[in-house]
Amino acid sequence: MAASSTAIVLQVDNLHVSYGNFRAVNDVSFNVRAGEIFGLLGPNGAGKTSTLSCVEGLLQAQSGRITVAGFDVKEQPLHARANLGVQLQTTNFQPELTVAEILQLFAGIHGVPLTRERLQEILLSIKLEDAAHKRFGQLSGGQQQRVSLVIAMVHNPRLVLLDEPTTGLDPQSRRQLWERMEGLRDNNHGILLTTHSMEEAEAVCDRIAIIDHGRIIAIDSPQVLIDNHRNDPAVISVSRKGKITLEDVFIGLTGSSVRS
Amino acid sequence: MTNTVIPSNKAVLSALLRADFTTQWRNRKSVVLILLIPIIILISWKGLVDKLGGPFVLSNCITIGLNAVGLMGYSNAVARDRDKGIFQRLRVAPLTAWSIMLSRLTVQLAMILLVTTGVFVAGYYSDGIQLTTAGYITGFAMAFVGGAVYLGLGQAIVGLIKNPETVNAVTRLVYFLFIMVGMFAELGALPKEVTSIVKWSPYGTVKHILSAGMQPGAWTQRSTIELMVTIGYALVFSAIGIRWFRWTTK
Repeated sequence: MAASSTAIVLQVDNLHVSYGNFRAVNDVSFNVRAGEIFGLLGPNGAGKTSTLSCVEGLLQAQSGRITVAGFDVKEQPLHARANLGVQLQTTNFQPELTVAEILQLFAGIHGVPLTRERLQEILLSIKLEDAAHKRFGQLSGGQQQRVSLVIAMVHNPRLVLLDEPTTGLDPQSRRQLWERMEGLRDNNHGILLTTHSMEEAEAVCDRIAIIDHGRIIAIDSPQVLIDNHRNDPAVISVSRKGKITLEDVFIGLTGSSVRS
Repeated sequence: MTNTVIPSNKAVLSALLRADFTTQWRNRKSVVLILLIPIIILISWKGLVDKLGGPFVLSNCITIGLNAVGLMGYSNAVARDRDKGIFQRLRVAPLTAWSIMLSRLTVQLAMILLVTTGVFVAGYYSDGIQLTTAGYITGFAMAFVGGAVYLGLGQAIVGLIKNPETVNAVTRLVYFLFIMVGMFAELGALPKEVTSIVKWSPYGTVKHILSAGMQPGAWTQRSTIELMVTIGYALVFSAIGIRWFRWTTK
């Protein structure tokens, strides 16, 4: 059954995560729709990674419910993960394997047949047709990110999680990745993006949630968030360029102090 | 809700095994080293075969090889991949955790087979040691039981220690401790108290069941007890390794 453009591909309800006495995620609820790029922003230690880990099924929440494409991540973890494509922050592939072998591995564990022709098509689509036999570690940062993204997409998932995908990329590679994200959105994939770049969030996200101290403190489109906080004294006080930006709103809401 | 494809266990295992065997093949220098140490000892002990007996020499060399497989190979590979987040990347795919470990262990079982075969072949051609067919078969069976002890020990080490450098240091220490103390005790070069401890240690019991397995006609009740103790070691180490193992170092 094809997903409608407004179908919810990720639903997070009343999520609670604690580490001992420390409450990392406190009653977090949000959703990501098909054909939407949803940004999850927050300072270090705000609860982004814990939230993401729960969605990925790597961390068990104390309470709350998460569904991916309608499948509960606790009750039907394999079904939920089959609808999930993940690009983690760091490169996580065996350094001994070539790009083609990594693609074959991930296609195989997702039950996707990958012919030689299809493999070439995939590599051609990311302009790495000559890199099939290169080890992942031999690629540049931008090339690695492109490979990571096609691996995350190899099974055509409904929801894609991108964890700070443009960290360390040059402006050209970053723009290219934004275009790829937009291409995925146009193909009706839902994208959950975490980033520390407000420029990126403003440029590509349809909606964003700002999370701090484990709670979502604002959720809306970047422009609406800017408009809603334009006259907020805390936001005005941190504004640097004479006009209010998403970064001003973010710092105004989460505070100026540096988090560990 | 969409049609969701859940890959079969066979498809998942096949993909994992191909990747894990390829990784092992690309690390063939370390495979050669694992194989080389017992074979060098085997060749250098040529003159002792008549005195100590073929099964004694072969079992000693296979035990050293199994040590290297479980301690140097398996545990360090798991510690490295955990530290790099390779397991976490696999775990967000629609597969079960046991399939990841089953694939890893299958590669190690192939390594046990390779080491044991290598020692048997080198023993035959270099030292002229020939066993009966039953001796070879039981020898292989005991090698798998013994291999399970060291894989379990390797698992226990990566279960209890997260840092890959510390895992590397500890496995080297245990490896050399087993080899040096084990070999010297077996040759009667150490005090009686140490020798009796070594006999019932994971080194001693594995070596003895291997040696007894290579001569099935000489299998005694003591051999059965040693086999039970060996299985006990494998179960205890594995239980510790599984209980405390974490998929991430964070």
